[in-house]
Amino acid sequence: MIPLVYYLAGAIALYVIGMYCLASKRNMIRLVIGVEILMNAAHLTFIAFSAYRTVGYIDPLGHAIVIMSIVFAGCVTAVALTIVTYAYRHYGTLDVRKLRRLRW
Amino acid sequence: MFTEPLDALLIFTVTTPVIGWVAYKKGYRKIQGIYAALGLSVTAYFLYELYKEVAEKGVVLIVGQLPFNPPLGACLEIDMLSVFMAFLYTITGLFAAVYSIKYMEHDTGLTEYYTLLLGMIAGMMGVAFAGDFFTLFIFWEFMCLTSYALVAFRKQRWEPIEAGFKYIIMSAAGSATILLAMSFLYGMTGTVNFVGLAASLNNTAPDGWLYVTLTLIIVGFGIKAAIVPFHTWLPDAHSAAPSPISAVLSGVMVQTGAYAFIRILILVFGSMQPMWQMTLAVFAVFTMFGGNIMALLQNDLKRLLAFSTIAQMGYIIFGLSMASLSGLTGSLFHIMNHAIMKGLLFLCAGSFVHQAKTRDLRKLRGIRKTMPMTSMFFAIGALAIAAIPPLNGFWSEWMIVTAGIKAEMIPFSALMLANMVFSVVYYLRVIRIILLEKPTAASQKAREAPASMLIPTLILATLCIIIGFYPGPFITMASRAAEAALNL
Repeated sequence: MIPLVYYLAGAIALYVIGMYCLASKRNMIRLVIGVEILMNAAHLTFIAFSAYRTVGYIDPLGHAIVIMSIVFAGCVTAVALTIVTYAYRHYGTLDVRKLRRLRW
Repeated sequence: MFTEPLDALLIFTVTTPVIGWVAYKKGYRKIQGIYAALGLSVTAYFLYELYKEVAEKGVVLIVGQLPFNPPLGACLEIDMLSVFMAFLYTITGLFAAVYSIKYMEHDTGLTEYYTLLLGMIAGMMGVAFAGDFFTLFIFWEFMCLTSYALVAFRKQRWEPIEAGFKYIIMSAAGSATILLAMSFLYGMTGTVNFVGLAASLNNTAPDGWLYVTLTLIIVGFGIKAAIVPFHTWLPDAHSAAPSPISAVLSGVMVQTGAYAFIRILILVFGSMQPMWQMTLAVFAVFTMFGGNIMALLQNDLKRLLAFSTIAQMGYIIFGLSMASLSGLTGSLFHIMNHAIMKGLLFLCAGSFVHQAKTRDLRKLRGIRKTMPMTSMFFAIGALAIAAIPPLNGFWSEWMIVTAGIKAEMIPFSALMLANMVFSVVYYLRVIRIILLEKPTAASQKAREAPASMLIPTLILATLCIIIGFYPGPFITMASRAAEAALNL
């Protein structure tokens, strides 16, 4: 069995990738994908922990949390993409640097 | 299922579209608003019944029908603090709903608007009632989702869209951070129940993972509570939303972040108390200064109020960073006063926007001539939030300062006093502009707000004065909530 640490390292790497994506990307759709990556990092840790709780068994609590959380992540993505669509209609571009009218 | 108040609110949330459909068929335009206000009144009544039960028993525990007991299954745990917060959410929501009936009359999509408003209040109430981290997270996401849609509600204009996008990206990143912290807690203890977490974490020495988790929790909830490095979404979102929604967002929704801090840090991270106390106190000072200094520079009325919210969050977080009874009482009392004062100020600002069609302070000069009542209520709210002695804001801010001196955090208390002076400066500037200067063209064209918009502001302004002169019973309520937070 692969040690738990590898899963945790993978999840934390995903989290860092998500944060990097939010900080550096200019395309609005990529920002939404970045949020999804962040959520999935957390889901992966839940699944890993629930599998390693007791040897031979899987803790259902972690899975229940992840299923509910996936639903909410989907909802957030839907709302975010709706807003992106409206932003595209207003500005004619998906470049987030053009959304700079709100300063200070 | 989720206690009567929350059930009632959820039932009203899902039936509002039906009422909206009937209203659309029959051609009435105000039914949804009246229905939402009715729903919130019913909720307030049920909440009073629940309050009596909680006062009798101390803690009301609601377990689901599944064969899982609390350490495994989800549960609701309602104590005095939960009821206290839920009352604030419901009352602020009620005022916003009544105010919206007139304010939103020219907008389309009113059915969705009221459904989302009720859903947002339901989410906040669920956060207050949650007995485990999982339930808290579910209701937290519910509250966030509805608020994203409400901030970007007037989608035909560029400002709500831009603010909404900024808000959704930052807030969703915060939610993901909270979820990651929750997964670490689950990995360490095998449970997400607050009592279970407290039992297994408070007796062990803190290790590296616990420090990581604490950082993630402070960042995750700090985004919602608008702690200064993470505050950038707040002024945009709160000024771009429709004014009644700004009142709810600014008055009570940022306080859910403070509530989560109170619940989670005190219960779960008791073993690391000195560390998070210092961190939060330092963040609080940054938050106060950031909010107040930025508010000094604003010419947009709603942005100024939004920055002032950040400063007030600084005071509240400073109060709860002491984790003492007097500090928490001051914090909770200030949460209550802030809901009243900021609700009042945003509703008055909404009246100005509705009647004069501008948010620019330079164009709102001398609007007292044409809108005397609204201007007077606004002045009362502004004086209260600037902590002028006989009004309510003074008592709570003073309680936080004295609690800081008692808890031997004198430098922080001194900085907070300096900030209170700052806030007097910019609120006096706003009062001078609105009351004393010569009217401009825009303010001469304005007319006094209609009665259904004046009545909520009148009640809130009266509450400011009443709490100012008789703070006793309200302080008792706050201190009972603080006791519940500390003892559990």
